[in-house]
Amino acid sequence: MALTLLCQRHCAAFLRSSAIKQTYFTQLAAPKLFSTYGIPKARKKISISKSFSKVCNSTTSVYFLKSNRCNFPMLTIIRTISRTHVRFSPNRNSGRLQDSNKTGLIYIVAVFIFMLGGAYAGVPLYKVFCQATGLGGQAVRGHDTSQVETMKAVDRPIRVIFNADVASSMRWNFRPQQTEVTVRPGETALAFYTAKNPTDKPIIGISTYNVLPYDAGQYFNKIQCFCFEEQRLNPKEEVDMPVFFYIDPEFAQDPKLEAVNNITLSYTFFEARDGLQLPLPGYPQPHDPPQPQQSS
Amino acid sequence: MSSLSTFSSRSNAKPPQKGSFPLDHDNECKEFMIKYMQCLRVNKKDAHLCRLESKDYLNCRMQNNLMLKEDWKKLGFTDKESGKKENP
Repeated sequence: MALTLLCQRHCAAFLRSSAIKQTYFTQLAAPKLFSTYGIPKARKKISISKSFSKVCNSTTSVYFLKSNRCNFPMLTIIRTISRTHVRFSPNRNSGRLQDSNKTGLIYIVAVFIFMLGGAYAGVPLYKVFCQATGLGGQAVRGHDTSQVETMKAVDRPIRVIFNADVASSMRWNFRPQQTEVTVRPGETALAFYTAKNPTDKPIIGISTYNVLPYDAGQYFNKIQCFCFEEQRLNPKEEVDMPVFFYIDPEFAQDPKLEAVNNITLSYTFFEARDGLQLPLPGYPQPHDPPQPQQSS
Repeated sequence: MSSLSTFSSRSNAKPPQKGSFPLDHDNECKEFMIKYMQCLRVNKKDAHLCRLESKDYLNCRMQNNLMLKEDWKKLGFTDKESGKKENP
């Protein structure tokens, strides 16, 4: 009995492979003659039985000869197995392939759409992230206006050096009135720049500033200045431009700025023209300066 | 001291608290500015010793409508420094 089982297994395995080969070969040769189900049974049977007899005779002939009773039931078993394989194997494989291809394609398309959506969603998300963590300098430290009243001067004299620059196409003469001032953090101080328009035409200028070293910039607060707004100078006019500022008292507690005793405040004037884009900080609302009136 | 790092693509400029000074086209407060400059020169550029002069200048600006009138405390001037000047 064990021998018959062995024989069954061997033959079934061989027939499976042989059946697949048979079906592929026959389908390739004459695909129109055969549908997935309608393989002529007679032809199949003969071929299978031939191969079966060959294989089984060669490998298990000894066992068959010994046990006569297993021939017929074995044959029917093998036949049913082969039939099922013949019927379903090509369909099953192609169906499987088709299904797996479909699901793979769907996954790939889904991943693509997800990536695309992520790229678009990244813009506001990054903004929120930057505001939360303060990375990239976008989260500008809010000015605590009440702090000006209560802050106390720290006894650590800091030298503030003033620098004035003009864009290459700008024809103003722009210079600081004082080269440097010694200031204590927590104390408000005043400084002056002078600008002159030597040309015969009115020129509108707009300025921006920078503080060096970079880390000291976050402690440099200006109460009022002349920056980021258009300033008009008539021909041959000279004006004084004040800067009213203070250094945050927390400057003294920053370990990175322990060795810093000099701060450079650098202003640059540009000519205000259409299409001029200055890197202005986040201005929440437009500022309306009080209109200068002649006091009679 | 660190130079501009990878993340600091923006400049460290912040908008001023009270906005921009209107330009003094008529040079009405120029004398006060000159006084302040002289004080700085005398005191070796120490701003701490010239707070009165700076207060005078700002007062001139306020009176000539070149600056919004503010309480001196909000501008960082304490009562001790007011001296002979009155609070507006």
